[in-house]
Amino acid sequence: MSAPGSIPWLLAHELRLAWYGAAVNAGRKGGKEGKEGKGGKAVKRRPGFVGIGFGLVGYIALHAVAFALLRKLDGDAMPDAVLAMPLTVLLAVCATFMLSSALKSCVVAMFERGDLDLLLSSPLPSRSIFAVRLLGIAASTALPYFFLAGPFANMAVVFGHPGWLGLYVAVGACAMLMACAGMLLTLALVRVLGARRTRVVAQVVGAIAGALIFLLTQAYNLTRHDRDPTSMLLALLSNNHLFGPDSALWLPGRAILGAAGPLLGAVGVAALAFALTAGRTHRFFVHGLQQAAGSARVQARPAGAPRFRFRASLFDTIVVKEWRLIARDPHLIAQVLLQLVYLVPLFALILRGDAVGPALGAGLTLLCSSLTGSLGWIVLSAEDAPDLLLAAPVPRRTLQLAKLAAAAMPPLLLVALPLVWMTVHAPTTGLLVAFTVTAAVLSAGLIVLWVGRPGLRSDFKARGKENFLCNMLELASSLCWGGLGWFLVALATQGETWMWKAAAGTLVGGVGIVLLARLLRRRPL
Amino acid sequence: MNDDTPALRLSGLSKSFGRPAVDGLDLVVRRGELYALLGPNGAGKTTTLRMVTGLLAPDAGRVEVLGIDLARDPAGAKRGMAYLPDDPLLYGKLKPTEYLEFVAGLWGIRAQDAEPRARRLLDWLDLTKHAHELTEGFSRGMKQKLALAGALIHEPQLLILDEPLTGLDAAAARQVKDLLVSHVERGGTVILTTHILEVAERLAQRIGIIRQGRLIAQGTLAELRERTQAGSLEDVFLHLTEGHAQ
Repeated sequence: MSAPGSIPWLLAHELRLAWYGAAVNAGRKGGKEGKEGKGGKAVKRRPGFVGIGFGLVGYIALHAVAFALLRKLDGDAMPDAVLAMPLTVLLAVCATFMLSSALKSCVVAMFERGDLDLLLSSPLPSRSIFAVRLLGIAASTALPYFFLAGPFANMAVVFGHPGWLGLYVAVGACAMLMACAGMLLTLALVRVLGARRTRVVAQVVGAIAGALIFLLTQAYNLTRHDRDPTSMLLALLSNNHLFGPDSALWLPGRAILGAAGPLLGAVGVAALAFALTAGRTHRFFVHGLQQAAGSARVQARPAGAPRFRFRASLFDTIVVKEWRLIARDPHLIAQVLLQLVYLVPLFALILRGDAVGPALGAGLTLLCSSLTGSLGWIVLSAEDAPDLLLAAPVPRRTLQLAKLAAAAMPPLLLVALPLVWMTVHAPTTGLLVAFTVTAAVLSAGLIVLWVGRPGLRSDFKARGKENFLCNMLELASSLCWGGLGWFLVALATQGETWMWKAAAGTLVGGVGIVLLARLLRRRPL
Repeated sequence: MNDDTPALRLSGLSKSFGRPAVDGLDLVVRRGELYALLGPNGAGKTTTLRMVTGLLAPDAGRVEVLGIDLARDPAGAKRGMAYLPDDPLLYGKLKPTEYLEFVAGLWGIRAQDAEPRARRLLDWLDLTKHAHELTEGFSRGMKQKLALAGALIHEPQLLILDEPLTGLDAAAARQVKDLLVSHVERGGTVILTTHILEVAERLAQRIGIIRQGRLIAQGTLAELRERTQAGSLEDVFLHLTEGHAQ
């Protein structure tokens, strides 16, 4: 057993918190139930047997998948020097995701965890506390990759390649490097931007990092090429010494395959990064924490008398309040807009002329439905002060209508210009798409209004867990209205009989889902 | 509605969460008085206030606010009332000016009436210099004071406060107490719950003590002392609540 206050002791504390944290995340109640909710179900202290069971089954299933894939690969007997190339590329892609994850963990470590005040006020050296926190970030960054990639290394041993166990070392070293990079980046941002802005920037960068990888992978599709990509790649790899199989560029891949030199190099680089980061920046870490402690208090510019803009209409008052709350939450905006990023390739294809009207009709409808669903959840379900609204002498219907409008207007404004353009160039198509867009927006808003469960804005990303039914209805509704958009526009240009039936089916589906949501609506107070 | 109508009348009010939280509560609070509702933890104070303000539907009984039946005309009853819970009802991403604009909008106050009131309240509560900051950075006391400004912007006849002084420093607590006394002096009615018995002792004209959802004693401090033969309100409170327990 380690001595209290030692690094292993602190590390054990960190692991215990991570273990309990997994339980809290799994069992967190997102809803705000009001006072009487205080006596609700207690949050679990550690992950339940069901969760552990699912994890184990998944891990075993991954081993089965790895076994099947490696048996096929083993037959092909690809030389290690060649195999190291795609493995390096894969590790580089994973490193980007790791950096995103490490950035988020650094923000949590510096701004959101409440235990650092206690630890730093104790007689423990700040260097030890910082080192353990960094190790914790590296471990939490590496864990998902150990879970997903570990089975391949384990199964490779079965096929007589014990060197593949180097994957654990290479992934661990990569996670440590990314944890150090994330921490240094966070500390640098604190120095340049201040603690408050760093928090926002790190959250936004973390949120969009994954999407950037997606866009990079789509970059080839978004541009026109005259040559076959495979031949281009082969030419690049064989003709240029920099990218040849013997290039030092593929050392990470060779480390994964167990080559002693690259493995030792990876461990050395990671250890050096850890030692330098922990040893040189722990004081700045403490300074960053002190800045973070005062970051919530924002000094506004010196202002004269307060300026008010009281509105005559209750409707305007509510809409303006909702838009202000959304506009001032960059993290939330980033998460909402992230959904749009995944639609970029579709629009790029449309603009290139590879697909025309039907795809545009479906795309715009899906986009608006998805955006309204997200904004609807923020505006309707994640109300910060529901009791204030309930205590006000305001008709519930007016409140709901104003909130619905606040959620629906931004998506409609976003697509207004393309819709006008379409209507001018092809009036029938434009009007049909306008119809499906409006129906999709209304349906998404009404579904959230009727079956959405109350939650916290900070739980936006995880809202699906508490709102499974709502999310499923939203998805089905989006697909129905998107499908209708496709079929109606196609009908306007081609007019095949089966399309009439398909359009009728999707229309019935879309209306039916809204009616189902109405039937399942949650009872008001 | 005339001036004899009580500010609040509760008749047989009941609410149960598995076990009774409020159990057939009858209570009358007169206009122009500061009434302190006391009770041990879990006595049903907050549940009572939440039913009075329309945040919780009672299982049985009737709530009349300024002579208006809350069940029949909720908007009418809420129009003359304001509620300040122990956890202030604020939006972290709004500035105090914007928060007051929003609350004034909810209560339908005209701009020409709302603006001078908002300025006066911000001044009174020392919040003018923070008027352009987001409330997410405010201390507990500043949040409580802003929520109180929001509660007063529509000049309610009945002001209901749940533990209004929790977490406030001495200066902020003094400001809030002065505001409550001033509200009553101008003819308003205040109902508050508090665990700080000294506040009830010094401010309240009448005191009600509830336990297990029932009103076990009510009256002026002198009446309660006489009944229990105790000295301070603390002695009265302990005598009544522990006596009942026995």
